Amino acid sequence: MQRFLRLSVLLLGLFAAASSYAADAPPPALTTEDDLGPAIEQPIEFPHFRHAGDADKGGMQINCMYCHTYARRSLVAGIPPIQKCIGCHQSIESVRETPRIKKLFEYWDAKKAIPWKKVHDLPDYVRFSHERHIKRFIFQLNRPVQEVCGYCHGNVKEMTVARRSKLLSMGWCVSCHQQDHPVTDEGGTPIGNQAYWYSMHKPPVDASGIIKAKGPNDCSVCHK
Amino acid sequence: MMNSGSVKHLAGHPFDRRDFLKVLGWGGAAVALSGCGNGSVEDGKETVVSYVETNDYMIPSISVYFNSTCAQCDAGCSITGRIREGRVLKLEGNPNSAINRGKTCGLGQAGVQHHYNPDRVREPLLRNGDQGEAITWEKAYALIAEKLNGVSGEEIAFLTGGVSGHLKVLLGNYLDSFGSKNHFVYEAVGPAVLRAANKKSYGVEMPRFNINKAKVVLSFGADFLGAWISPVHFSQQYAQFRKGVDGQRGVLVQIESKMTLTGANADRWLVVRPGTEGILALGIINALGTATGDIAAAVKGYDKARVSKDTGVSAEQIDKIVALLKERTPSLVLAGSAAEGYAHGSQNAAAINLLNQVLGNVGKTVEAAAVVPFPQMAPATGNTFALKTLNDGLNAGKYKVLFSYAANPVFTAPGAMKFKDNLAKAGFKVAFTHYLDETAMQADLVLPLDSALEDWGTQVPEYMAEGAQINIQQPLMEKLHANTRGMGDILLALIKLRRADDYKKYDDYYAYLRAAVLQNKGALGGGVADDDTFWNETLSKGIIKLASAAHALSGKAGAAGLSLPAPSAIDAQYPLQLIPSVNASLRDGRNTNQPWLQESPDPLTTIVWDSWVEIHPRKAAELGIVEGDIVEVTGKNGSIKVQAYLFPGIHPDAISIPLGRGHEALGRYAKGYGVNPFQILDMVFDKETGELALHETRVKVSKTGSRVIVVKDEGPAGGSQMGKKIAARLPSDKVKLSEEVYYVG
Ligand code: SF4
Repeated sequence: MQRFLRLSVLLLGLFAAASSYAADAPPPALTTEDDLGPAIEQPIEFPHFRHAGDADKGGMQINCMYCHTYARRSLVAGIPPIQKCIGCHQSIESVRETPRIKKLFEYWDAKKAIPWKKVHDLPDYVRFSHERHIKRFIFQLNRPVQEVCGYCHGNVKEMTVARRSKLLSMGWCVSCHQQDHPVTDEGGTPIGNQAYWYSMHKPPVDASGIIKAKGPNDCSVCHK
Repeated sequence: MMNSGSVKHLAGHPFDRRDFLKVLGWGGAAVALSGCGNGSVEDGKETVVSYVETNDYMIPSISVYFNSTCAQCDAGCSITGRIREGRVLKLEGNPNSAINRGKTCGLGQAGVQHHYNPDRVREPLLRNGDQGEAITWEKAYALIAEKLNGVSGEEIAFLTGGVSGHLKVLLGNYLDSFGSKNHFVYEAVGPAVLRAANKKSYGVEMPRFNINKAKVVLSFGADFLGAWISPVHFSQQYAQFRKGVDGQRGVLVQIESKMTLTGANADRWLVVRPGTEGILALGIINALGTATGDIAAAVKGYDKARVSKDTGVSAEQIDKIVALLKERTPSLVLAGSAAEGYAHGSQNAAAINLLNQVLGNVGKTVEAAAVVPFPQMAPATGNTFALKTLNDGLNAGKYKVLFSYAANPVFTAPGAMKFKDNLAKAGFKVAFTHYLDETAMQADLVLPLDSALEDWGTQVPEYMAEGAQINIQQPLMEKLHANTRGMGDILLALIKLRRADDYKKYDDYYAYLRAAVLQNKGALGGGVADDDTFWNETLSKGIIKLASAAHALSGKAGAAGLSLPAPSAIDAQYPLQLIPSVNASLRDGRNTNQPWLQESPDPLTTIVWDSWVEIHPRKAAELGIVEGDIVEVTGKNGSIKVQAYLFPGIHPDAISIPLGRGHEALGRYAKGYGVNPFQILDMVFDKETGELALHETRVKVSKTGSRVIVVKDEGPAGGSQMGKKIAARLPSDKVKLSEEVYYVG
């Protein structure tokens, strides 16, 4: 039943930017050509760059979570219901007759779901929570949304349809969980107040007064 | 697995509870996990389907919960379904119901397997020789109209299981529309005799039994923890009873000829000669010595010596029971199905009820039940008497059109009744059904029903726990199959063919139900709430609790008319009494196609997926039978072959075979597993009510020569392993099954 695991854009994480907190640790491996997933043809060639891209490049700078609204509340980020697309597009006359939008309205009028192809897929035995990572990086650490989503999803704001650009293997996840991250004074995260240190003793506070600890690395955190 | 094609649009009432159900959610198409390579496994291969439209509370991976009512038996437990991505995953009890207070039984848990069952009928089927041909609903309705054309009311019969609520009202109106009074209600294992006896003893058919208030419970074969009336409710009362009233832990004494689950939990389990429960009850009244007047006179002859000889319960045990009853009040005496199942079942039950009266329990532990103030919605109950009447009518060729719903008499009627043959005499047979069960297999037209988790309805439980309540049944998810219909919707469509004007304002059964409930908003506790608020609250609670008066209870029936026959002599040709046992999961066999129920071991024998015959080890030794022997159980009305299980919890002159298995149809998990003891029952009926005396069948047992390994959870040695050395552990490839030693009693 763990269908949620197979849903939509699945990953998002703790990665690249963390290195700024852990100057002594080697930076995570850079994305290589090999990490790039296959180009995937979608029923509608959805232009992420148009919606999320920077204004100077013709983008709308829409927050990722405006459409992927489940990400902060759920394991999965979710593909928005068509109703969401229509909500805006019914009053955007200028593009109403473009091929992609026409196609969108065809689905809507027929009340048919769009059969998107999944771009980021994890095995069913991995339980990845979008909510946890978003609460941690966006809401607790106040990192910019696109940066945080980008840790795992790459630079989506410059893509048309999304394409996987990180490896998303276990080693790759761990490469970030092994880094020292700043944590709250009690050692907790905002969700469930789970302590970041597992060896029973609090890590030392560094010269700057910031307590750092590694990401969770119990098997059971991801393999329930 | 869902696909995009099953995603539907909302019906156009925003934020209505129904609408969400019309949207099927997230589903991936076929999944093939191709191994554990690096990184993502199936990029670009799976489809991820989003909602077209959805309510805000529908968040993928987060469950939502809706209340409904369990339809696995008639106890009417309220359930809460967990739904995720538009699929119902798990059922729990609804804590707000006084009946089950947040719990369900194993049978209730299996409700999801009824819903997702692969053997559900998916299209209306019209008989064409041996085949069922899929037809449209329009054609099916037209056909029914055509067959009813020119047929008088008397020539139409409607057979159902227990029905209540608005469905019963609608059904009544439908029958009215062609002037038919032929509604036959048939529950194969319902407590029909008890109802009649209770009516006489207490003035009501189904009072409340307050097990939790009793300090001692004397149960004559009432399996209240297993399958009797409202087992989840009684189990919870039992837990309170065991904790004790005023610090006194309740004591349970179970008296029966075959140990039930309740018997296995009792402090004292007494085996009684089958059919002599009433005699024992009168013996206890006599030994108590507190009765006066006609009761004293009626029990005068039942002195300990005689009672002990008749029943097989020793005088010493009778003394102990009497001492216990004297020492602890209030007590509660229950007449269960084991006591009812005889030609003198009514008398047995009356004698047992009399014991309650003598002990002063009436009004204390036997209390009046609350009544739903809408008598037209009260449950219609019935048993074999109704079936027999129908059967006689069929045999006489009285019925041109027969409808059947929620009953499977071809499976549950005693074979000697020849119901199947008589059924063939009905002109046109319509079965409303979920599965192609034995009865549907005989039908000319099979109409597939929505599952209980897809359908709308109201249910009024026969056994009311505290206040009166009406239970709401509502869909927990969108229909799985496009061409099934709710029973209410079908009835509405049919009645529209006859009384279009009265019913045309209802688009569907949902609209009918909503209108019917709102019409009585005041009486249903709606107060001044506006319609939408009240309706939505009702659906969200899943229960309508009613302020209502209780039935009047009388406890002065006395002993008039009480007469118990002497125990019957042993029949030389058929020396054993057959006890067809009602087991907590399978009951009368309607749910046998739910594999969890086949797979969950019988609580007493631990046997799975098969039938067995329980034989007392002493009797077995006498007959040279060991566990696993295939024996032939023969009675006047046929024989069945079944594996033997040696069971000390049974009277040596009785054997027991559980009901519910031995299907010849119904589905892949039911067909061909086990045997059906209904088929060999003797046609003996209770003298007063005319109901089938389920325990009156006499049989003999003979070996067939073959032997099998009984598939069960307990070790091969069963109970005999106790106190012995632990068997040497062998790797499974070293075990030689042919050399295994069996328990030989
Ligand atoms: S007793 Fe069990 S099967 Fe019957 S209604 Fe309650 S939960 Fe359902």
